[in-house]
Amino acid sequence: MPSLSARHIAPFFDGRQNKASRWFSYAGLGIGILLLLCAVQMYININRLVREKSTRSTGYEYISVSKLITNENMGKDNRFTPADVQQLQQQPFLEGAAPLIANQFRVKASAGNIIPFSTDLFIESINEAFIDTVPPGFTWQEGQPDVPVIFSSDFLEMYNIFAPGQDLPQLSEKTVSSVSIMLECYTPGGMQQYKAHIVALSDRINSILVPSSFMHYANKNFGTTAQPNAGRVYIKTKDANSPELLQYLEANQYRINKDRTWLGRSKQLFQAIISTLAGFGVLVIVLAMVLFSFYLQLMIARSKDNLALLLTLGYSPGWIGRTVAKRWVPVYATIVVVSLAITAVLQYGFKMSMPGRAGLSPWIHWSIAVIATGLLAISVMVNYRLVKKMLGRL
Amino acid sequence: MHIELQQVLPVFIEPEKMAASEVWGKLVAIAPGEQVQVIAPSGSGKTSLVHFLYGLRKDYAGKVTYDKKDIRGFNPEDFARYRQQEISVVFQDMRLFTDQTVFDNINIKRVLAPYHPESRITEMANRLGIGSKLGKLSSTCSYGEQQRIAIIRSLMQPFSILLLDEPFSHLDEHNRQIAMTLIAEEAAARQAAIILADLKRIDYFPATRILNL
Repeated sequence: MPSLSARHIAPFFDGRQNKASRWFSYAGLGIGILLLLCAVQMYININRLVREKSTRSTGYEYISVSKLITNENMGKDNRFTPADVQQLQQQPFLEGAAPLIANQFRVKASAGNIIPFSTDLFIESINEAFIDTVPPGFTWQEGQPDVPVIFSSDFLEMYNIFAPGQDLPQLSEKTVSSVSIMLECYTPGGMQQYKAHIVALSDRINSILVPSSFMHYANKNFGTTAQPNAGRVYIKTKDANSPELLQYLEANQYRINKDRTWLGRSKQLFQAIISTLAGFGVLVIVLAMVLFSFYLQLMIARSKDNLALLLTLGYSPGWIGRTVAKRWVPVYATIVVVSLAITAVLQYGFKMSMPGRAGLSPWIHWSIAVIATGLLAISVMVNYRLVKKMLGRL
Repeated sequence: MHIELQQVLPVFIEPEKMAASEVWGKLVAIAPGEQVQVIAPSGSGKTSLVHFLYGLRKDYAGKVTYDKKDIRGFNPEDFARYRQQEISVVFQDMRLFTDQTVFDNINIKRVLAPYHPESRITEMANRLGIGSKLGKLSSTCSYGEQQRIAIIRSLMQPFSILLLDEPFSHLDEHNRQIAMTLIAEEAAARQAAIILADLKRIDYFPATRILNL
């Protein structure tokens, strides 16, 4: 029907009445689409912000996990058993988990005559893959008199804070490696002395680390057990803010530095709010479309005799449905474009209100335009099917 | 297009009427270009027959076929295709858009499947004596005028079958003849068949076959 167009059949529709419900449905549709588009854009923004916050050079985060000490479990052994560690290692949202094994015997350190300093100490060992700085010399074999140590940068900083007050010299990161430390390990039968030297500083692990081979030997020979439970476990993950991880830790009463996961916890809350908003948007869209369908039904009911006669004369219900649906394409397109424009303006404003967030784009995400186009297509399709169905009933 | 009635029996028909009928319960095939007059008194089912043939009603036994296809299986789109290109009708009750002008009533059929240019509407209207009515609402026209509007409307499209259900009932003798001549010319130009249902034999309808309903 090339020469046939909507203008030929327009006079046969009675659309004069009920303008209010038509305009209400337009407004509703606009508000619903705007809510939905903004919600999706905010969802994308939050994911981008979280990603920006959690990106590390390695792509992984290493986080120390310990068991929460409460009044109820205070007297018990709140360390990780090998089974606990194994369970952690098997979690799909973790790339790995390694226990920090502590000494099971008394250790005392002194810095000899140069720095008159002596203290009881703890030492720990961990799978070397979890240490950020492992120099080639970080090994120990039985009979070796000196023990390489990786020292926490934080501990050095703390030392340098209290050292002046104790008349002790402050140490730079370079000089600390030249300080000789005497490590006294107390055994059931006496004391074994080792020469320790700091081979590296670690930003990641807050501990005094010795090679695993030394810890294993020392715990076996000086302590009570070679395989003690671990007070702490380091976990390796791509996303410290993943909801699964947070839920798992909470369910097992494991404690981690909350600062590492605040974004994740906030993200969950934001996502819940945004999902509610998006759901509300969808609801408003559906209601607006229902309202518009009432308008269409009323219009068709009023024009029933004319439409029935058009069909009798040979007009195709499919063509009439398409033509009627197309009649509202400009209106619907305007609603969608305006909603899209408002979303774009809000996104630009959001970006401007958060300077320095490199991960945040001032433009709307491409998926927003896709959703808007999809909504337009759905609206037109729903109208087409509705009109065709109603014509079929005539 | 070939149209055929295969033992068509309206559900409401009385058995004695059926026996005497040359249509009900019989096989009736309409050949291309054939001019069939169906004669029956009031209440014998002329309008029902036209409605069955046009696919408006299905309260009958037997089959009506278009090109050997049972029209019971047709969907609205199938009917739309045939009604645009193959089959046209003048209803006894005219069926006009009362809130539209005479011209629009005719043109709405023309634009659907244009067979004639728009100027032919005026020509035909003048010929049938309703030229001055084209701009008026059809509801303001007399039955006779409305009948002529319905006739012109039916001639605006291509067709191979034209159904006429008492098309001249409100016309005087003179106007009947003018209308019949126009219909005959248009049908001949398309080599179309005509099925005319009326109360009695119409002399100026050049029937090739007469069927008593």
